[in-house]
Amino acid sequence: MIRLDCDDVFDTWRQQARWLLSHEIDPSQVSWAEQHAADLFASDTPYPAQPGPFQARIPLALLELLKSAACYRGDQRWSLLYEVLWRVSHGDRTAMMAGDKLGSELHRRLKIISREAHHLHAFVRFVALPAIDGPEHLARPQYVAWHEPAHDILPSASAHFIGRMGQHRWLIATPEDGAYYDGEQLRHQRPCPVEWQQLAQNAEDPHGDLWLTYYSHIFNPARLNAKVMQGHLPARFWKNLPEGPLIPALISQARTGKQRDGQASQIAGRPGKQIRADKKKGEHALPSADD
Amino acid sequence: MQLIDKLSILADAAKYDASCASSGAPKRSSAGKSGLGSTNGMGICHSFTPDGRCVSLLKILLTNFCLYDCQYCVNRRSSDVPRARFSPEEVVTLTLDFYRRNCVSGLFLSSGIIRSADYTMEQLIRVAKLLREEHEFRGYIHLKTIPDADPLLIEQAGRYADRLSVNIELPTDAGLQILAPEKDVVSIKKAMQTIHIGEQNVRNEPRAPRFAPAGQSTQMIVGADATDDSTILHSAEALYGTFGLRRVYYSAFSPIPNSPKSVPLAAPPLMREHRLYQADFLLRSYGYRANELLQGPGDLALDIDPKLAWALDNRTVFPLDLNRADASLIARIPGIGLRTTQRLIELRRQRKIRYEDLARMRCVLIKARPFIITSDYHPPLAETSSEQLHGQLRDKPQPQQMGLWG
Repeated sequence: MIRLDCDDVFDTWRQQARWLLSHEIDPSQVSWAEQHAADLFASDTPYPAQPGPFQARIPLALLELLKSAACYRGDQRWSLLYEVLWRVSHGDRTAMMAGDKLGSELHRRLKIISREAHHLHAFVRFVALPAIDGPEHLARPQYVAWHEPAHDILPSASAHFIGRMGQHRWLIATPEDGAYYDGEQLRHQRPCPVEWQQLAQNAEDPHGDLWLTYYSHIFNPARLNAKVMQGHLPARFWKNLPEGPLIPALISQARTGKQRDGQASQIAGRPGKQIRADKKKGEHALPSADD
Repeated sequence: MQLIDKLSILADAAKYDASCASSGAPKRSSAGKSGLGSTNGMGICHSFTPDGRCVSLLKILLTNFCLYDCQYCVNRRSSDVPRARFSPEEVVTLTLDFYRRNCVSGLFLSSGIIRSADYTMEQLIRVAKLLREEHEFRGYIHLKTIPDADPLLIEQAGRYADRLSVNIELPTDAGLQILAPEKDVVSIKKAMQTIHIGEQNVRNEPRAPRFAPAGQSTQMIVGADATDDSTILHSAEALYGTFGLRRVYYSAFSPIPNSPKSVPLAAPPLMREHRLYQADFLLRSYGYRANELLQGPGDLALDIDPKLAWALDNRTVFPLDLNRADASLIARIPGIGLRTTQRLIELRRQRKIRYEDLARMRCVLIKARPFIITSDYHPPLAETSSEQLHGQLRDKPQPQQMGLWG
């Protein structure tokens, strides 16, 4: 049995897998440490450090699939990838297809990873840091966010924000790692520096109420459907979303009577204004933006 | 009035528009550029409200003052609602603020009709122009188009917006005449045609100024009048065909405060709306015709989905051998979607499809089983009637907590 540790880094695993494959070492003979448990190449079976004679050929598409599935945090994270690699390199392409037993697990992971990347793009919430005088300003991010992804998607998925935020400097910190874009380059660090985490978790947001107002008012209580919402917006994200704390109250208000029509109760309580039917006179009833 | 008060009134006034999609825009990026925003064609739901609906765009009205008196609309002139009006600059400020926070992917701006159709349209365009030109905003913009506005204004709107939409409002001309007397179907369709021509003019012309690259959509209100699903689906099919619409949105009529007697004060027919979206998806992506889903007048079944309903009505097509059948027919098997169809075609190039494979692809086997043949499976020879299958496969109603007024 060969026990390996790749420190949960894909490129390290790739080197190891290439070496294993060259010696045609069967997947049943290998395991990867789950939590930094074993030493690198700690093995009770002696193998030479040089590559062996077997020349594996795999489609480029497989490499992309493996790289993406490698972001999955969970049991058999790396050994499943080696098993797929083994079978495809030995001529069995069904191993990378969803109809296969192994392939279906691979595809399940790929789906979870792409969903988690999408969660990052959707649910990250940036808060603007107050500008400080002096040159150290440029060394600080302008926007910070704290996010808790369930899988290692930050390095690959955070590049999305370069296109979105233009030349702004931004930082996304997570419990495991962090990504900082300084206006020119994206840097990824694992573990996440403590000062990054503090910056992201302690940012104050004095102008956050506009978004909260919008969220409460675009909700239609007559269409209450909490189950569908939870399917799309899993509860584990609520605590880091500014609108998260509003959700239980909006649901219970809707249940206790606000379901009658679509209007929010704050609006129902305000004086209304009918407009005169005569179009010419109606013009005078129209306000300017200053009203 | 404070900005936050206006926002609360004008977001509340905009919630009855179903669409909040930010998909279909071309790839744009601000990497290394001044300005803000990107699009990649996919669309992102940045949040979900407790009604299960996606928040993708800042969806607001420029103003909810309105000269029209459409009976189904909370903002009709005779409605006793609080009114407000944003300045174009205020909308710009809000859009950019929410965008930087990553709360939205862009703006969906609509408006009540004030002064005239042209004046209102000009105001909407001004917001989009400010965003694009002054602030180099590259996020998504959806502008509601005022039907009677000058075609030149619509053309201008298409230069700044990713998507334009004109609401057809009701599926029949007669319904529109009764419930929205100031609107008429001729000018609505004329505006759709103007947008359609604008799109065609720039197609395959890479150097032409862009025109609504995410196309146009529309919305139909369902349940405000007595129109049946058959009329609705045929009308949607005609709109897709005639004006090349990307989407028809169906909005279950949601009761409004101070409801006039002409429209129902009842809970919105959400399941009916859901079935219409399923049927619409079959029209757009699966190649079904409205005629196949509903031959005569009538409504879609509420207890089974329209694909299953079609399969139960067309048992002579089934069972289908997954190892031989054409992809377009496999996609018509209940419980098997487009993605699984694609995967089955790929797999059968490598080896025979077995029953077990379907479970691994996470098909809804209980629905698919009576309609398929694999190398190791044939549905029981003792014919099970469509009536029996309907009884077994229908959605059993979930126990519901009653509302206070239920």
